[in-house]
Amino acid sequence: MRLRVNGKEVEARPGALLLEVAEVPTLCHHPHTETRGLCRLCLVEADGRLVPACATEAREGMEVRTETEGLRTLRKTLLEWLALTTDLAQAPDLLALMERYGAEPERWGEVPRRRGREVLKDNPFYLRDYAKCVNCRRCVDACGDGIMGVYALTLEGRGLLAHPTTPLDRPLPETPCVFCGNCVQVCPTGALRPLSLEVG
Amino acid sequence: MGKPSLLPLLDERLPLTEEKVAEAARLAGVPLAQAWGVVRYYPRYRGLPQGRLLVDDPVARARGFAGLRAKADGTYPPLGLEALAPSYLRFTPKGRFVEWEGRLVPFAEFRLPFALGHGERLLPPEPVESLAQYRSLGGLKALEALQKGHLTPEALFQAVEEAGLLGRGGAAFPTHLKLRAVARGEPPRYLVVNADESEPGNFKDRFLLEHHPFLVLEGALLAAWAIGAERAYLYVREEFEAAIRGLEKAIGELEEAGLAPVPLEVFRSGGLYICGEETALLESMEGRRAEPRLKPPFPVERGLWGRPTLVQNVETLANLPLILREGPAAWRAREPKLFSLSGDVERPGLYELPLGTPLGEALRRAGGEPGELKAVLLGGAAGVFTRDWALPLRYREKLPLGAGALVAFGEGVDLWEVLLGLAHFFQEESCGKCFPCPLGTAVQVEMVKRRERNPSLVADLVATMKGSLCGLGQSAFWAYQSLLEVEGAA
Repeated sequence: MRLRVNGKEVEARPGALLLEVAEVPTLCHHPHTETRGLCRLCLVEADGRLVPACATEAREGMEVRTETEGLRTLRKTLLEWLALTTDLAQAPDLLALMERYGAEPERWGEVPRRRGREVLKDNPFYLRDYAKCVNCRRCVDACGDGIMGVYALTLEGRGLLAHPTTPLDRPLPETPCVFCGNCVQVCPTGALRPLSLEVG
Repeated sequence: MGKPSLLPLLDERLPLTEEKVAEAARLAGVPLAQAWGVVRYYPRYRGLPQGRLLVDDPVARARGFAGLRAKADGTYPPLGLEALAPSYLRFTPKGRFVEWEGRLVPFAEFRLPFALGHGERLLPPEPVESLAQYRSLGGLKALEALQKGHLTPEALFQAVEEAGLLGRGGAAFPTHLKLRAVARGEPPRYLVVNADESEPGNFKDRFLLEHHPFLVLEGALLAAWAIGAERAYLYVREEFEAAIRGLEKAIGELEEAGLAPVPLEVFRSGGLYICGEETALLESMEGRRAEPRLKPPFPVERGLWGRPTLVQNVETLANLPLILREGPAAWRAREPKLFSLSGDVERPGLYELPLGTPLGEALRRAGGEPGELKAVLLGGAAGVFTRDWALPLRYREKLPLGAGALVAFGEGVDLWEVLLGLAHFFQEESCGKCFPCPLGTAVQVEMVKRRERNPSLVADLVATMKGSLCGLGQSAFWAYQSLLEVEGAA
């Protein structure tokens, strides 16, 4: 199957996602979880429509554009909003993307933030620092449908206030959590961190 | 049939305790994690505000919001009361009430005053309380025709196609395409009537459900039968308690008379704006957080419990008996559309007007004088401010019609205050699933507060929110953008 990406013809296997043929930034997508289409950083223009590359299959003859002015603006702005609201200190990939897209968060002025959230330490293995959480849901999915089928994580709230929590908001040892570490492995922003790496 | 749905199981157990949530999860066959995510999502499980509540709709925002707000303990999202605004509610341990003419009327008894309706074909000339009355007004002909074998699904599809009926919920998708697509799918198939009217400024579906339930049900049954649905659900905004009672009574009468070819059931909505988005609606019916799904697949292919599902707006379905009765050509020659008119007009209410009526004329019908207005909010929160009085009110025009709300604002109104109300509404109602919407709606509130007019900043907000997953985020900036245009033209 052949399609065009930024004017260049490329080959794709049938059923391939656009992500496999187009180079675009990603955040919520992870090969081992079902999360996709949430962060919108991988949006591309396919035949004139905005679609997430991580959740859209390539089609014969498709015209894909990955770096239009609109898409660059979208990525730059999203990164700025994330940086304003969330502590990205342990998200080097996002900091690099900000550099690449020339992000200037301060141009937006005052914006509500999730930075103020307190660190939760309720078990000997890892901590939950939701001031650094962008709500990509990889951890929730890894714990549930995606990898483990344990269902020790879910989501609390709506909108900007939404973030992962445990069933009945219980400390992790009182949940079905088996401390497998999958959620920590898939967290892209250091919101979930092994305690073994914490100094002091 | 699917599993027992989590939301009704939780509703039966209000007020909730941890044990009751666990029990509901067990009965629904879902992990406690899923049930907890649901409980921490929907307002009625998290806990509703109590006391005297101001309905925070665009009309209240235009009538000295701060003063109105000072007389309340809190606010409540728009509730289809715009024609009566400003309105106050009272939430107490005894129940939910509307303050109306000096009395507290329980939600289960409060219906929009019948006198608000002005029309001939979609609106009844008198309140329709019984099946006999509906029949005497010329109803039931289509249902009786199909019972006698005088109607085929294909004949219905053909009539809808010839009429050119477009979905009345706001998306204006050709109805016959959806009907046919679902009918082609593998059974079991479902119909879900989207009666979760929550777009600020709109009260047409509420009025139809409260005063013309048989018309809506006849349309729903026609569609359900034609697509070969196993069951039809009416997903009704849970606050419309009087409408729900009336629908349940009407369903009973239809079934008793042997006029229901498909089983009908009312489903109480999750109680959030996003529940009106068709895939979020289906998520809530399946017992999850009402968060929109990625499309494709569309509900006509994979809808409720993954089955082919027709999700259709109340007013769209109410037109089906009419199209069959009048014939598609006659119906099309004067296509009826319901417009919810509120704000600074003499006679706010619900007006049935031919599609294509110029905006200025629609306003005059309600006693509004365009020359004395600053602007109209067309469509709702997901709508636009305009002063284009010659604009024909029809689909696929230069401005979106939405579901047909027209909120008029007089010269003295501060439109930025109205806009701030809309911005707060979107921030509150953003589900938080994708990234641009919860971030962008929060940023937008701050920008509107400081009356930000910097064109490049607004353009970047727009470009980013356009990338949202669903229609909520993709339209949340329309009003802001349009206000700057109206200001610029003034």
